[in-house]
Amino acid sequence: MKELTVSSDAPGERLFVLGNEAIARGAIEAGVQVAAAYPGTPSSEILETLAGVAKEFDMYVEWSVNEKVAFEVALAASICGVRAMASMKHVGVNVAHDPLMTASYIGAKGGLVLVSADDPWAWSSQNEQDNRYIALQGYIPVLEPSSVQEAKDMMADAFKLSEEFRHLFMLRSVTRIGHARGDIVLGEISPERRKGQFTKDRSWLVYTPREARKNKPLMLERFEAIKKAANTLVYNQLKFADGAKLGIIACGLSYSYTLEAVKWLGIEDKVSILKIGTPHPLPEELVIRLLNSVGEILVVEELDPFVELQVKAIAGEHNIPVKIHGKNLVPRIGELSTRKVTEAIAKLTGSKSPVDFAKLDKLEQETAPLLPWRPPALCPGCPHRASHYAIRIASRRVARDYGKEVEPIYPGDIGCYTLAYNPPQEAVDTCICMGGSFGIANGLAHVVDAPIVAHLGDSTFFHAGIPPLINAVYNKANITMVILDNSATAMTGFQPHPGTGYTATGDETVQLKPEDIARACGVKFVEVVDPFDLKKATETIEKAIRFPGPAVIVSRRLCTIIEQREKRKRKEEVIPYRVDQDKCSPKCNACVSLLGCPAIIKQGVKTVVDSSLCTGCGVCAQVCPYKAIVQE
Amino acid sequence: MVKEFNILITGVGGQGVILMSELLGKAAVADGLRVRGSEILGMAVRGGSVTSSIRLGDEVYGPLIPMGKCHTLIGMEPSEALRNIAYLSKSSLVIINTAVTIPFTVSVGESKYPSLEEILGKLSQASDRTIQLDAAQLAEQAGNLLTTNIVMLGALFGTELLPIKMATIKETIQAHFPAKVAPVNTKAFDLGYEACQQVLK
Repeated sequence: MKELTVSSDAPGERLFVLGNEAIARGAIEAGVQVAAAYPGTPSSEILETLAGVAKEFDMYVEWSVNEKVAFEVALAASICGVRAMASMKHVGVNVAHDPLMTASYIGAKGGLVLVSADDPWAWSSQNEQDNRYIALQGYIPVLEPSSVQEAKDMMADAFKLSEEFRHLFMLRSVTRIGHARGDIVLGEISPERRKGQFTKDRSWLVYTPREARKNKPLMLERFEAIKKAANTLVYNQLKFADGAKLGIIACGLSYSYTLEAVKWLGIEDKVSILKIGTPHPLPEELVIRLLNSVGEILVVEELDPFVELQVKAIAGEHNIPVKIHGKNLVPRIGELSTRKVTEAIAKLTGSKSPVDFAKLDKLEQETAPLLPWRPPALCPGCPHRASHYAIRIASRRVARDYGKEVEPIYPGDIGCYTLAYNPPQEAVDTCICMGGSFGIANGLAHVVDAPIVAHLGDSTFFHAGIPPLINAVYNKANITMVILDNSATAMTGFQPHPGTGYTATGDETVQLKPEDIARACGVKFVEVVDPFDLKKATETIEKAIRFPGPAVIVSRRLCTIIEQREKRKRKEEVIPYRVDQDKCSPKCNACVSLLGCPAIIKQGVKTVVDSSLCTGCGVCAQVCPYKAIVQE
Repeated sequence: MVKEFNILITGVGGQGVILMSELLGKAAVADGLRVRGSEILGMAVRGGSVTSSIRLGDEVYGPLIPMGKCHTLIGMEPSEALRNIAYLSKSSLVIINTAVTIPFTVSVGESKYPSLEEILGKLSQASDRTIQLDAAQLAEQAGNLLTTNIVMLGALFGTELLPIKMATIKETIQAHFPAKVAPVNTKAFDLGYEACQQVLK
């Protein structure tokens, strides 16, 4: 029997999947024909899954250079009558914000769905922004799943709804949906394939002030129709309990926590629950019915009081005398959990939790001092470790000429190399957004007197690093811009990008080189270095920092994970290094304290290389002042 | 009908924690069970702490195991088991691989690694039942250190507490790995299973 996969045409069968695979499956069932994205946790697996089945379903799938372009690619397909989607992490939506705010004026011809993967607790992000507010601003209806199954169902339906109402829809996922796992029941796969057709019509496609003014009322009409329909949509469900004094309004994933919490507390028959699958627009009639039936309301939702504020407005507008709780009891920060929801409900109902959380908290606190700190680290053999070492040595040499107290400044960026903010590198002084390293460096150049050495990765460079590079040339910012080129979008799972020479679906394409782009942009100092040649890399970076005006260094070495994989394929042996204990000085510790490589470990005073982790990069051997680290 | 059975797998990035959850989930679905789960990876898998929840049953809704509600905790690494002590209750069963992975913060002198006695002592305050095995050594015995996670999976089934059939998990393992490495993994599973049964005798 053929094993079931996300692409199986097997309606009714159950499949165990990752939430992001479920979202991809929903799109497959809807017959999506165009999908575009830029990688970002927790969204990347959606497009990866689609890329894997693109040829099977005659689908066009691309990794776009950034989220703005990804959304524009999908929008164009929709305009031509083809079902299309763009997926991105929450902060990626910021990059796509410009076209997004006009997209609702345009409406949709082919079903158009934006997947926003929000990240409460910022597990792998720079903030925990709540993108329901972006949807609010742009008049974009939001579907918010409570489970992996619903993520699949909503995604499939989103395309139909988009066409029914001729309007863009957003599927708002969160980390605990996209990176949750569960069993889903597969639905039917639409066999329909449409031919894209562009019909010239400036009345809805060319946004001069005239069209903006003309289309806004039409957009508001469409949104009003969606608002009415929200009351009967299957994803919004009102369940009354006889004589309930408390009503709970639970949005998206919070509904799952709520179901578990009321079961724990044994009050399933005592509370009325309104499940919200469309936080925007809210099913207003259902909300009013619930508000009129109880004396108190608890709104359970992750992050901001998005639903809560709307519910309060509805209660005010309709003069409904009901006490509404929300963020006074449910945390505004981080992910919710069964525990947090249980505690909030317990406070309101006076019921008692079956688990003594205070005792468990105490146990956890007592245990904490025993535990070793285990942060993620740059991999053994990671070229970024060597690049950061060279950057630091070179920058310090130059900083001395600026004055005794002057420290070099290292604006950093988003990628694996952000991990270099940890000791011993400590070479990330700012990390704000994609491409922000070069942008911040531009500003610093005009207000501080110190060497400014900014760094970002190759994928980040193509995504958002080129405009600030041009800005540095144009506005004469004396900065050094290092592109850590490991030929991969490594942090999110090694997705290809314009510098890799192949596309999302594995086809060969033009390979762009950051150094060519830098030269074409007018940078007068552009050099490529190999970070594993520490001496030469350090000297070249020093020259770049001393160069008057913007300078670019491309520090190029393949990501070690890919390198190791390729070596295994070629059956090439990895020759690890070892420490010659006769030469090693127990007082020195240079390799450990300068590099922090997970393969170099201390056994008492002895320093040894863990040969199972060592990749044979040889960087530690170059750093050792006693020449005590040698290859086996 | 299974109401709720919660398995928490803890370890270090690269130890195969996620693969264990995938195999468990697939096998559970094949046996007609409902499955929910999720993993916590921190900022990346690069050697950091990893935990994965697998929750089976009809009365499970949230993707993560609530504190104090774990039925079985697998520690692929001793200190990582300890890190999740608050998920245990007196009746939880803890299965620990005694092979340690020292984080680089210990080498650079920024933190200390506790002794195995300290770890087990603390865990015994939370739960009455702990099974220890040197899974790394059993994996080498099976033929590949990389099968440590499958040894632990075998040990998990060795407890005979799971609502998943042995035949199903074995078929899932067979189907997952290429024919060349499937036997090593099956052997690893059997060694883990037997080691656990020995301890329980």
